[in-house]
Amino acid sequence: MTNAIPEVKLAEEHVGKWGMVINQDICTGCQACVAACAMENNITFVGEEDSGYGRSMHWIRIERFWEGEYPEVKMTPNQPMLCQQCGSAPCEPVCPAFATVHSTAESLNLQVYNRCVGTRYCANNCPYQVRSFNWRDYERPEPLPNQFNPDVTVRRRGVMEKCTFCIQRIHKAQDEAKSEGREVMDGEFTTACAQACPATAITFGRTDDPQSLVSQLAHKGHGVKHLEELGTLPSVTYFKGG
Amino acid sequence: MADHKHDAGHAHTEEHFREKHLMLDPLPRGQMNDMVMESMTGKPGWKFWTAVIILSGIVAYGLVYSWAKMIAEGVGIAGVNRPSYWGIFLVNTVFWIGISHAGTFISAILRVFKAEFRRPFTRAAELMTTFGLVQAGFSVFMHMGRVWLSYWLFPYPNQRMLWPNLHSPLTWDLLAITTYLLSSTMYLFLPLIPDMAMARDRSTGWRKNLYKALALGFRGTEGEWTHLRHAMNIFAFAIIPVMFSVHTIVSWDFAAATRPGWNSTIFGPYFVVGALHSGMGAAVIVLAVIRSNMKHMDYFIRAEHFDAIGKLMLIISMTWAYFFFNDYMVQWYGGDKWTHQLLHFHEAGPLGWMWFAMLFCNVVVPWAILWNTKWRSTPWLVSTVGIIINVGMWFERYIIVPISLTINRAPFTWRMYTPGVEIPLGIGTLALFILLYVLASKLIPLIPVWEVQEGQMAHELKKFGRETVVSVSELE
Amino acid sequence: MTEQFSRRDFLKLAGLGAATTAILTGCGPASRYVKREPYQQMPEYNSVGQSTYYATTCRECAAGCGLVVRTYQGRALKTEGNANHPLNLGKTCARGQATLHGLYNPDRVQAPSTGDWDSAIQTVADALKNYKPGEVAFLMGMAPDHLFDLVSDLANATGMNGPVRYGALGMFEARATLSKAAENLFGQAGLPWFDLGGAQVVFSFGANFLETWLSPLPYTRGFVGLREGETKLRGTFVQFEARMSATGAKADHWVPVRPGTEGLVALAIGKLASELRGGAMPRVFSSVNPAEVAESAGVELEALHHLAEMFVNFNVLAIPGGAALGQSNGLEIAEAVLALNALSDNFGKPGGVYLSALAPNQTETSRPASAEEMAAFVEKMKSGAIKALFVHGVNPVFELPAALGFKDALANVELFSFATFPDETAAEAKHVFPDHHGLESWGYQRVATGVSLPVLSGAQPVVSPFYDTRATADVLIAAAKLAGGKFAEALPFADEVEFIQSKVGALMSEASGSFSAADAATFMAYFQQYGGWFKNADALIAPDGSGVLNGNVKAAEPEFAGEGEFFFVPFVSPTLAEAGANKPWLQELPDPTTTVMWNTWVEINPETAHELGLQNDDMVRIVSEAGEVEAYVYLYPAIRPDTIAMPFGQGHTAYGRYAEKRGANPADLFGVHFNEAGDLAFGGMKVKVEKVRAAQSGVGLARLESRIGVYGEALGEEH
Repeated sequence: MTNAIPEVKLAEEHVGKWGMVINQDICTGCQACVAACAMENNITFVGEEDSGYGRSMHWIRIERFWEGEYPEVKMTPNQPMLCQQCGSAPCEPVCPAFATVHSTAESLNLQVYNRCVGTRYCANNCPYQVRSFNWRDYERPEPLPNQFNPDVTVRRRGVMEKCTFCIQRIHKAQDEAKSEGREVMDGEFTTACAQACPATAITFGRTDDPQSLVSQLAHKGHGVKHLEELGTLPSVTYFKGG
Repeated sequence: MADHKHDAGHAHTEEHFREKHLMLDPLPRGQMNDMVMESMTGKPGWKFWTAVIILSGIVAYGLVYSWAKMIAEGVGIAGVNRPSYWGIFLVNTVFWIGISHAGTFISAILRVFKAEFRRPFTRAAELMTTFGLVQAGFSVFMHMGRVWLSYWLFPYPNQRMLWPNLHSPLTWDLLAITTYLLSSTMYLFLPLIPDMAMARDRSTGWRKNLYKALALGFRGTEGEWTHLRHAMNIFAFAIIPVMFSVHTIVSWDFAAATRPGWNSTIFGPYFVVGALHSGMGAAVIVLAVIRSNMKHMDYFIRAEHFDAIGKLMLIISMTWAYFFFNDYMVQWYGGDKWTHQLLHFHEAGPLGWMWFAMLFCNVVVPWAILWNTKWRSTPWLVSTVGIIINVGMWFERYIIVPISLTINRAPFTWRMYTPGVEIPLGIGTLALFILLYVLASKLIPLIPVWEVQEGQMAHELKKFGRETVVSVSELE
Repeated sequence: MTEQFSRRDFLKLAGLGAATTAILTGCGPASRYVKREPYQQMPEYNSVGQSTYYATTCRECAAGCGLVVRTYQGRALKTEGNANHPLNLGKTCARGQATLHGLYNPDRVQAPSTGDWDSAIQTVADALKNYKPGEVAFLMGMAPDHLFDLVSDLANATGMNGPVRYGALGMFEARATLSKAAENLFGQAGLPWFDLGGAQVVFSFGANFLETWLSPLPYTRGFVGLREGETKLRGTFVQFEARMSATGAKADHWVPVRPGTEGLVALAIGKLASELRGGAMPRVFSSVNPAEVAESAGVELEALHHLAEMFVNFNVLAIPGGAALGQSNGLEIAEAVLALNALSDNFGKPGGVYLSALAPNQTETSRPASAEEMAAFVEKMKSGAIKALFVHGVNPVFELPAALGFKDALANVELFSFATFPDETAAEAKHVFPDHHGLESWGYQRVATGVSLPVLSGAQPVVSPFYDTRATADVLIAAAKLAGGKFAEALPFADEVEFIQSKVGALMSEASGSFSAADAATFMAYFQQYGGWFKNADALIAPDGSGVLNGNVKAAEPEFAGEGEFFFVPFVSPTLAEAGANKPWLQELPDPTTTVMWNTWVEINPETAHELGLQNDDMVRIVSEAGEVEAYVYLYPAIRPDTIAMPFGQGHTAYGRYAEKRGANPADLFGVHFNEAGDLAFGGMKVKVEKVRAAQSGVGLARLESRIGVYGEALGEEH
């Protein structure tokens, strides 16, 4: 819970803690990250009708547009879009119930499922439109629930959800490191999407550690943070390449 | 108005004044009280019962059943989606809060400014505030994903030290609406006390007990009147800022967000004026309905009142048009590409007709009709304009909520919104609103008799030579 | 332990234990299966709150990627790539991730059709005994290999027909054509392997190597190498195909050539490049006329010149694949494109063309049956030469083109299905004896291509069987025992595990393996723990390309069957492939190019659609000489106006609630025409498009993308 109006910072100056670099030049759009995310985070599928009506629950989606006309037509580089874990997140202040709060410890945007009353204001106010709402109790017939990850809450109808940067993995790695009396090492764990990505287009790690792979990649070239002009201080850096 | 031409011997001008102005056409207090009592306690006819049965049926299906179904199955049975997360629920919330504004405007502002034409219909307007806010409350709770936890939005002491987020415009909204509902209900009640006392003295059975309780022992002593006037004065002044703040805060639900089309500094006053626009429109409909359906009401509610409200509607329409232009201009001039997309989508999108219909209903129709005194004094015409304005204002809110939500900064997600169970739910709130009025018409005097009487006492016609003039003495 | 043992110490130890879990497991369980147990009876190697990780092999396709599956109290929770597996290096594709939705699918075959396994085994034994060996045939999928080996051994020893392998992916990849082209050019059959990572420029003629082609994970890695190589500039990628695939979408230049002219285009580029380089014109390119080719392929001659110039400065890797080979002249196309590599002289060199390494226990290259061979197989069924058919690991009723008549031929045979899911073939079968899901199974899979090392990928059950299913290998071993005689002698094993041990144990003597062990039990334990065994030595085969330039490649024009006006490009859905349709999360993955979920679509160029009066979500009927299907229209901006395309993967008539009655199967349109290598010429036809009904509001394709935001629909900016 923030008590003061945060200082205005430039996106470049914002460090945060956990961050991601996504290389769009090598992203093949294969959807492995989407599937991995769904499997790790107990995300429900919604069926044809609802998914066609903008109610799919993907926490990560791959966006693409078209440029030019046939035969000079080109698909724009695949753009995996997920919660940007903003340093100054528009979703946070608008929740009346404190269900979407900032973790100062992890510098992440948390979604507290059991506190969510479903006003959906956060989703309206998210400029990246990466929040998904449980419009119904979607059916997952037995024995599909056997696959549920016990580290991740299963959400019911009326609750907002979104990418957590696999916070259950962060905590697990931290607990292990703590029990061994050390810091979490770079590359010791990663998010489900980054772990699956066949093209290694997604890199996850500590952005406050200049030695980490993700920091080095983020400062390598012409990285872009989406809609940073809004002052959201996103934690995901994109490389268009090409 | 043939029945109250009791004194045919007056000069033509005086007659003219009496016929035109309620304040100058006094009746004996007893007779007036009886008229009001009769309109209220008279045996309800088939029209009343038909209305009650049909409206209750609609409320039972639209509000009770549909809402229960939505609670059981999830908001998915409505049409909300990504990116239109809010939909008609919030359209209706804003709409009903808008309706509720006219009540306070008429009874508080016009009272403070001593606009005498207000007297016969302050009650009807105040009821609109309270009943409208009930619908607004229903609409906003309906939209919640887990409405059974809505009490979490109120600041109540709890073991976990959890508090609502005071940064959230929705929290402000909830506090403002609650404040408004409580204060407007009290403000409705205060002027009701003398009428309750009047009704107590003229009724028997359960009614007597009810009115006895509500009259709080009011006997009409000078001291009681003084206290009442003091209280009403305080409330009238206090509720005006509340009224302005409520709709400003409602507008902040949108204006404080980061979305193109919403993030507009002018939204506060724009929403207040919009609220008055639809509220006055609704008030005039209510008056026309009361006048034509209840006994003796054509004595109290006359063409002069439609004329006066018509003037107000015209001015509010002009103010609304100004704010609309201002908002559009500033957003367009801002040059943000997403806002441009949105403005283009408003006019040229699949629901572009709604944008033009909004301007037609809110500007063209009132301007075309309400400039003319004769037309303005025709109840059915003015109330038709009221209906049209309300349609236009509902369109305005529809454009601001689901249509504007379609366009955001993530074009990959743009998607149209098709309402689902919102429609029966919305109709249900409308039916409940009307039903409450219908029931209220049989329980409380829709005309504040004492206010009318007070006004009539203050007004008199004086003759200076051949000239008849109206003289008003200071009462309060 | 006599010392005081504090809770804190215990927790520390527990933490250390958790860190080493991943390494120790695999040799842990002595029993065959981990049981799902209540807390009170937790197996000693399992502790509450701790996950156990098992290495195994992915069975979603035949590539043989290594998986590590996280399990928790006997439930499989998550699949990850096995980081130690040379093929996928810790990565997985979407299908690998969704394999758990197969394991815990609500529509699995839960018990043998006979009710109990004793009578099931008796039934199989009776069939083995009662039919003449020549009347019994096995039709198997491209995975798993251990069962294929077991059946091969059984067939060899008893005189039964050797097992025939088939898979729709193999058909769409035209593996037979690739192999035959290699044989024709290099004198050596084999599955070509293209080293994208080392190349400077890649010309891909229809190869969808980022989707399902051959082994998509290593090819994706190669693509990343092409783009991101540490020591070189970003490589250029040119894709030649009539319909932009998800692979083509990543290309720097997408060249929409007319279907079937890929070979001519390759030869024309070769000729232009040779001219630019000067010297004698290689014989292989001499016969083409680039101007005519440009005309016939529908591309600018200028563009071909521009592409040919790349050969002057760069090493260009040319890849034939996918839809290009499924043409009547597919073999010529494959040869012409392979021949283009001779200009860069990259045969057997980094950034060039190799033949895939043979797997550890493999002596010669093998490939699944071509469509022509399957047609012969169906013929044998029809003629009564085959009387008992055992089907495992493949769903031929769905995966074979309907025109081959497999389903009708089933009337003549006694069909045994070992399907895990109630697929179309199982629905036709007299006996359904369900095998375990891949994650409940033992086995191994030879890695056919994708890595320079010979890899034998190992599979072990990560959970105990959820239903009353039984490993087909166990069923066959038990049935052979029951049948007695030569059958029992052919399979002298107690169970499947013993059979696998006998096969894997043979590798113990091999030198320079990824691990070695002194005794068979330890070797087998390591095999499970590491998820396979591989040789450390590079075993890619360098093809002999010396004769290519002066060889002879026919510059054949393609032939098209049917009356229609449109070329037809069927392609394998990158997310569903041939068997993913019953996994709900795969259904809900948006297609990489169209973002459509849960359905089948027909891609039509917007210009063409305009001429035909078609719009998005109109229902159209596609009519070929062999059949017709109906699907929704998708106005696809990156397809030739004279071509339409449809994904393969939906259109199931059985296969569980998520797959059934959903979409259409383009294979129903395929006529029976083969290319010279015997692969189906699935692209060699022309089709008609008929409008069935106009788009209705609220009915249509479920897309993730916004039609407003992406195509400007409803904004008056359509394109």
